[in-house]
Amino acid sequence: MNYETVIGIEIHCELKTATKMFSPAPVTFAKRPNSCVNEIDLAHPGTLPSLNKNAVKQAIKACAVLNLEIDPLVRFDRKNYYYPDLAKGYQITQQFHPIGKDGHVSIPTSTGEKIVRINRLHMEEDTAKQFHYNTETWIDYNRAGTPLVEIVSEPDMRNAEEAVAYVEKLRSILYYLGVSDVKMEEGSLRCDINISLRPVGSEAYGVKTEIKNLNSLNNIKVAIEAEIKRQSELLDKGEAVEQATRRYDDVAKTTILMRKKEGSVDYKYFPEPNIPPIRLSKEWVDEIIATLPELPEARKERYLSIGLSEYDATVLTQNKDLSDFYDEILKHTDQTKIAANWCISELPAVLDTQHLASAKNKLTPKNLADMINGIKTGTISSKQAKDVLPHLIQGENFEDVVNRLGLKQVSDTGELLRVIVDTLDEQAQSVVDFHNGKDRALGFLVGQVMKKTKGQANPALTSSLITEELMKRKP
Amino acid sequence: MMNFTQYKAKNNPVEAVNLAVEAAMKANTKLNAVVTMVDPGEQLNRLDQYAGGKMFGIPIALKDNVNTSGVLTTAGSRILGNYVPQYDATIAEKLREAGAIVIAKSSLDEFGMGGSNLSAATGPVYNPYDLSRMSGGSSGGSAVLVASGVVPFAIGSDTGDSVRKPASYNGIVGYKPTYGRISRYGIIPYASSLDHVAFFTRNITDAAIALEVLSGRDDRDMTSLQLPVEDYASLLNPSLEGKKIGILTNVLKAITNPEIQAHFANLVARLKEQGATIVDIEMNQDLLSAILPTYYIIANAEATANHSNLDGLRFGVQKDGKEIDEVMSASRTAGFGKQIRKRFVIGSYALFVENQDKLFRKAQKVRRLIVEDLKHALSDIDGLIAPASAGVAPKLTDTSMDQLSSTYLIAENYMVMGNFSGYPSVTLPMGYCDGLPVGVNLTCKLYDEQTTLNLALAIEQATGLADQIKEVA
Repeated sequence: MNYETVIGIEIHCELKTATKMFSPAPVTFAKRPNSCVNEIDLAHPGTLPSLNKNAVKQAIKACAVLNLEIDPLVRFDRKNYYYPDLAKGYQITQQFHPIGKDGHVSIPTSTGEKIVRINRLHMEEDTAKQFHYNTETWIDYNRAGTPLVEIVSEPDMRNAEEAVAYVEKLRSILYYLGVSDVKMEEGSLRCDINISLRPVGSEAYGVKTEIKNLNSLNNIKVAIEAEIKRQSELLDKGEAVEQATRRYDDVAKTTILMRKKEGSVDYKYFPEPNIPPIRLSKEWVDEIIATLPELPEARKERYLSIGLSEYDATVLTQNKDLSDFYDEILKHTDQTKIAANWCISELPAVLDTQHLASAKNKLTPKNLADMINGIKTGTISSKQAKDVLPHLIQGENFEDVVNRLGLKQVSDTGELLRVIVDTLDEQAQSVVDFHNGKDRALGFLVGQVMKKTKGQANPALTSSLITEELMKRKP
Repeated sequence: MMNFTQYKAKNNPVEAVNLAVEAAMKANTKLNAVVTMVDPGEQLNRLDQYAGGKMFGIPIALKDNVNTSGVLTTAGSRILGNYVPQYDATIAEKLREAGAIVIAKSSLDEFGMGGSNLSAATGPVYNPYDLSRMSGGSSGGSAVLVASGVVPFAIGSDTGDSVRKPASYNGIVGYKPTYGRISRYGIIPYASSLDHVAFFTRNITDAAIALEVLSGRDDRDMTSLQLPVEDYASLLNPSLEGKKIGILTNVLKAITNPEIQAHFANLVARLKEQGATIVDIEMNQDLLSAILPTYYIIANAEATANHSNLDGLRFGVQKDGKEIDEVMSASRTAGFGKQIRKRFVIGSYALFVENQDKLFRKAQKVRRLIVEDLKHALSDIDGLIAPASAGVAPKLTDTSMDQLSSTYLIAENYMVMGNFSGYPSVTLPMGYCDGLPVGVNLTCKLYDEQTTLNLALAIEQATGLADQIKEVA
């Protein structure tokens, strides 16, 4: 039978904040276990949550670009369950009143742009990480309390391509906003895919399964395809799909049952009494929205408008770090196309272009812009520039490198003339020799000038200037 | 046996503290009020830096649900029998900075859940006026340490009259300010929306000074008020000229004890003499009868979640188990008393998704109605008064009270309105029945601590019962 696939996606996204959702402990990845925790994260008796204002700001940014209606009254609820990774025995979340609801986002598909509706975006806190060994469970509470938003789509996607496009789109937007690192492999962006099949033409939804543990875009694609295959084979055989949580197994390339859903768990949600409802000031929200950073689509449009090709604009926009770097270069040069070429073709070969903003990178946009300007004005050739680049990456100034390597041609007439006058003054005998017809004297004088300029004088120009000056000194 | 002013005048903290420690040790053999004695040496050594503090050199006790860094804090429960906090409660810091010296952590009903102090892991606390009677709870240890003359001040917490009721049973002042006036950060909770930090003194002037020390916005408690600390003590004014005081008639009608009625009538007469206008206020009888069940649902629902952190994994007493789930469940089973486990079951039941509408959410609605009715009752008056209990402190073994009578439902439990509403409320001595103290309760408008203290001072002057002490031999 022909089936239509129905996919809805829940995304958990860690917010980029200095401190945790409800405690002043720092948020960092890969620190020594249990080093970024305080009494609140460990739920010691008597501790109380204090809401991180910056996390709310990040959530508002995400709501704004996902076209979600922002609830001006921020409220939190308790979700009660016992689990070792949940110190309080409840998670503070927004069950009843999410900060954002009823939004949408447009995704590219092979048949054109498609609107995916977003049901809600709510704020909550992350859990600790558990490590299970043979007889022991170790718990790292560093992640406990990290600010999260959960973004829940409507079941609007119909195949793996659309699902991947949706996740990719959200990743890109959230990264550009500075809301999250969106690193799927590190777990700062996690996807749960709900997937069901129904006969083509049917309005009713089939039984869905939820796939967890998807840590790359490619895994999402192959997991969905595997699950579609698994479900359609079951349905073809007349068997029922069982509502369950499954995980994708990278090695077996299929989804594996984690747990059956025998009736849903009662989390006994109720309003969080330690956080009174907070009224967001309209001015504050408006200001956050007014100062939103440029999003990928707008940036691409801008690149097209300054003369970049569709390809260059697309490639640059896909890598925000590189694109930010490119924008910095443009502050020091008007050579948009040359600069784009260098960013797209040359830098990735020699640098980690995903982390250009990191302290380790010593290549400054100004130095690269100077080099690009040098190419344009003929100070150095494109070929020479490739020799210069490694030195710039070591942190040297463009000028210094060119001077040190003697790449720069001194073509400044005034500067050269000063050296020539000095040289002729010193070499009076050669001047006389020249006028006595000894052509060899000219070569000697050019050699002296080259020596004085450490070889950077433009030889042709030097020769003609010396000749002019000698004529002036004709006895 | 001094008040704050006398301690300050004498200006000998070392002697005062040593006397208090000695008195505490002695009294405790009779009262069983102390969970942990705190060595004051270190605090006395550092006392100089707090010179000029409003409670400089005054020995105090803290209810054992107040976190004290490095000092055992049990909340009256076996499961925290080994818990030594890593941090101080905000009020512990504030009291230290005001120069107060903590000499004891006092007994309480387990996690503050109770009104008798019989559920404390360390056993019952005895009433200094009659050792066969209960202290009342849940802040029983703090109440009797103040009443017996050991310390002039002790911290309690009041979730459903847990300071104001024992104050009545022990002949002292029990002050519960507006919700949010005093930070709850570091107080081991019972039910967050009802928990108030409250305290005992022996007179209203000391209460005003203590409130100045304890009040103020704390960013670590989001429910703490963004209001400045006022000069309560210097603004104290007992004048009743132009003041209108309401008598909560529902409570008086529910009280059958003629001595208590007589004491109250006597007080009202004197307040009139001092210039107050007295009016009868009748609240909705059905709503008042619904206070206790409403309280049980809300308090236990919040409590069951609040205490889910007590799993024996990260702190507290851990019991063995093969799997983590077994460790958690064994630790909780062994760690909690029977009453607590019962409350958790009730709380969970009220929160089940199929029960929320008819229990938890209904209780929230009833709470709002009761608060509306109280607000209406206070709209035209400065304060509302009634006897703080229907009788004197009960015998330890007394279970005779009919829990469906209006005496119990209204007269013994109406003060919970102060927790539902967060309105400031104070109990102070009204008189004695056969040598046993009974108190009067006053409740005023939200945020209006000054009127509360002023009217309470007027009552104190009318009764002449400031600085009452009952030493135990």
